[in-house]
Amino acid sequence: MGSLTQLLITPVATAVLIALLPGQNQRLIRGVALFGSAIALLLSWRLFAGFDNSLADLQFMEIVPWNPRLGTSYAVGIDGISLSMILLATLLCLVALAASASITKQVKGYYILVLVLESAMLGVFMAQDWSLFYVFWELTLIPLFFLIDRWGGKNRQGAALNFVLYTMGGSVFMLLSLLVLFDTLPGHSFAMDQMRAGAHLISEQKQVLIFLGFLIGFGVKMPIFPIHGWLPLAHVEAPSPISILLSGILLKMGSYGLIRAAQTLPEAVISLQGVLVAIALVSLVYGGLLAWRQWDLKRMIAYSSVSHMGVVLLGIATLNFAGLTGAVMQMMAHGLVAGATFLLIGLLYERTHTRNINDYSSLLRVAPRFAFFTTIAFIGAVGLPGTFGFIAELHVLVGGFERWGWLVVLLTLGVLISAAYAIRTIGRLFTGPVRKEMQDIVDLRPSEMAAAIVLTGGIVLLGIFPAPALELISASITQLSATFAAHL
Amino acid sequence: MPEFSHSVWYAPLFALIPMIPLLPLLAAGWIGLSYAYEGNRGESGEKITARVAIGASLLSLLCLLLVDLYALLTGHAPGQVHIVEWLNSGDYHINISFTLDALGLSMATLVATISLITLRFSVNYLHREAGFQRFFMILCLFMSAMLLIVMSGSAVMAFIGWELAGVSSYLLIGYALDRPTATNNATRAFVTNRIGDAGFILAIFLALTWIGDVEWPSILSGVSEMSTLTAGLLAFGFLLAALVKSAQVPFSPWIARALEGPTPSSAVFYGSLMVHAGVFLIIRLQPVFEQTPLMMLFLVIFGLTTALYGYLTGLVQTDVKSMLIFSTIAQVGLMFLECGLGLFDLAAWHLAAHAIWRAYQFLSSPAHMHLMSRPTRPVPAWLGRRRWLYTAAVNRFWLGSIGDWLLTRPTKTLAQDAQNFDDKVIIPLVGLPTQADAISSLAQWEQRRGGHHPLAEGDIGLGHGLAGKLMEGIASLLHWFEEQLVLKGGGEGLINAIQRVGGQLQKIEVLLSQPRYLLLLIMATFAVII
Repeated sequence: MGSLTQLLITPVATAVLIALLPGQNQRLIRGVALFGSAIALLLSWRLFAGFDNSLADLQFMEIVPWNPRLGTSYAVGIDGISLSMILLATLLCLVALAASASITKQVKGYYILVLVLESAMLGVFMAQDWSLFYVFWELTLIPLFFLIDRWGGKNRQGAALNFVLYTMGGSVFMLLSLLVLFDTLPGHSFAMDQMRAGAHLISEQKQVLIFLGFLIGFGVKMPIFPIHGWLPLAHVEAPSPISILLSGILLKMGSYGLIRAAQTLPEAVISLQGVLVAIALVSLVYGGLLAWRQWDLKRMIAYSSVSHMGVVLLGIATLNFAGLTGAVMQMMAHGLVAGATFLLIGLLYERTHTRNINDYSSLLRVAPRFAFFTTIAFIGAVGLPGTFGFIAELHVLVGGFERWGWLVVLLTLGVLISAAYAIRTIGRLFTGPVRKEMQDIVDLRPSEMAAAIVLTGGIVLLGIFPAPALELISASITQLSATFAAHL
Repeated sequence: MPEFSHSVWYAPLFALIPMIPLLPLLAAGWIGLSYAYEGNRGESGEKITARVAIGASLLSLLCLLLVDLYALLTGHAPGQVHIVEWLNSGDYHINISFTLDALGLSMATLVATISLITLRFSVNYLHREAGFQRFFMILCLFMSAMLLIVMSGSAVMAFIGWELAGVSSYLLIGYALDRPTATNNATRAFVTNRIGDAGFILAIFLALTWIGDVEWPSILSGVSEMSTLTAGLLAFGFLLAALVKSAQVPFSPWIARALEGPTPSSAVFYGSLMVHAGVFLIIRLQPVFEQTPLMMLFLVIFGLTTALYGYLTGLVQTDVKSMLIFSTIAQVGLMFLECGLGLFDLAAWHLAAHAIWRAYQFLSSPAHMHLMSRPTRPVPAWLGRRRWLYTAAVNRFWLGSIGDWLLTRPTKTLAQDAQNFDDKVIIPLVGLPTQADAISSLAQWEQRRGGHHPLAEGDIGLGHGLAGKLMEGIASLLHWFEEQLVLKGGGEGLINAIQRVGGQLQKIEVLLSQPRYLLLLIMATFAVII
């Protein structure tokens, strides 16, 4: 069994193990889940240790024919982009599980679903066959639907249904595109590399149509304006650990898929470049302004995700090395930032049971540790120099400027808006008049702090010393940008 | 001087020279740091503070005396001593260097001696004063600054000392931090001094542009090749600096106000040392002034006017320190006059003698009341008869008021207008909060507790200022769009539509399951088949 398969089945195996455990012993279940997730994290770091940065090719490849008549196969493998996402996913899953202490009803089901979700997400990032990719993609929906629907907030049923409908609606287009692609190509195979190799045989017009299908499918997930309607609702209603996963990894699946689709259909992307940039810039400003207007903390972070993913799309749309690097960096940075903010705001919500920012005040006095980590997380969200977000935004800015010139001034506008709501939030939460009802808030507990330290530490550390992350993806990005350069 | 650099004594002496101004500076630094880390605070710290200050200045004086001795024995002053290049940018080279000719050496010795005496005097005079350590620190700083001025090898080095002296003067005039008069006067003295600094900077700039170097020897030799006009402009810059520093008319008023500081500081600053810095600068630049008859004329005019001003005003003063200071100004005016008449050597001797004499007078001024055996001399009869002159003298020729009227008041009004503009136009436009959100008083806190929340709910999403309002408007619009179209129309709309379609299908299903429709369907099928 290859190391990727080992990693892939570790969470599922843990889930199966939990299913066999007695349901009353919550501590045991939690312990086993955390252990399984930690093993997955270790396995992903083992991949990192064995990964050769200098190669742009897929590594750790495993191919097992699945249904030869349909041309499907179990093909997994990773390049730098996949690996960065896998590292992020295993880390955030562990953090999310660690932050799940407040889940007390139907614990067994909860942990099983989260672990299945983890496997499905990992599968998306390592699949090298579009059919396999699609299977994992849809597989994430099932646990998520139940997680939101059963453990969510007041309006959870609506949110869960809404989420599934939106995503399924998008997936339909993606599936259509895949089938058209499969049908048109002479090889009749779903393998990503074969599709990539044969795509140039298709007329450009058809390529554009196929890519638009992908764009809708992945765009819903990312999400991009105007198909982001599921996001505020789902983020707000989902339990906080699931919010971490939703915005930390699930959104990245969208942008990751888009990068893969763009790789498959470079000519289509080039002709749609203007559209992509327009969507990106609109998402960027639109999400930022709406985030600024929210008094609900979770909703605010949700809209800020729209804005941040706009940066990712902008980076992808540049189609050059700097921009694509920035896009992947932003995916990692936003994973850490969104993970940290949802973690901290979720923990805060557990203590106060309010998400209304107007109810908070002067927390610095009672919860200095909260204040410290939340401030770092929000500063990371703004992308201040010294945080990982800055590295990402800078790359996107450079790449965007190369391609689009002064148009990227809108990106700085987006950053400015994000500074407005981030600083506003920090100010509202931690300073201001003393409120009696905010006086007995318990500060971060050691285990919670460990999770916060890992995420905020990552934000700062990679902000100051981004070389490992840049080196990890540079070979893959070089190859990717060369693909586009050849068609430009 | 080549002789100096070839002597065997060159190396050790060379190492000593930078120590001369550096030692008091280090002492000042030590006193400040030690105070910050609570090393020498309080009465118990006075002894060590005084020891360090006096020790440093004594060492500095000894170093100077060694150099003096060397100069006397060999018959050659060291002259221009180049230490290290400090700044090298494009065509501009600025060195750390010293000019230790006869003038520089003798002046430095004078400065070091008087400073040392004053420091020693202050040990008793300031005993048990709260600001003892601060005073000693600033005095050391000042000593270093004065040494730097008189030993400086270039205009830039002199300017550094010039500014340091200005700052330490400012700090000592405002020594009594809690007295508004003292702090006001300190500010006033400092601001007036900046006028002179402007002249100094202008001169440095001109020297760099026209001569390309700011070393004194280069300026002095370079000026001979310049036209009278350009040399005059250069000299004018230095003259302005000198006039202000030496409190010549019309810049005199600051020095009388400067007496707010403790007596020993008045002695060194305004009695004997700093007030002479201007004269020193003129003497240092003798060839520059000799080149320009107009500037010589200015020297005569300003010197004569100041001498008369100081003399007349001094006659009508009623307190010891004021009397002394006006007589000082008069004497310094005479020195300017002497320079203007070309008697630079005389001015130098006059300077040295006057400095020593004034230092003695100022330091003993607190004891004058006890030493005096007869009542103060009345205003001379001839002055008393000329009422207009008497009034003018009592009012110090209205120099201070004129300065106020010409400069201070217009500046204030302008600042007020700018403030108004800022309050009424800029702040609303930019959207800066006029008052901070934090609670500043107990009353405010009570008010908030009483239910009145200035930070009431719902001001999320409200912008301030032009950009903020614009952002607010766009955000509201987008919010409406989001609520109506994306959320209601998109998400919920989708669900509603599905439900509606589902309902319709349900109806059809129900209908179809009824026997008559089923029969109809079967018949229709048959019809089709047939």
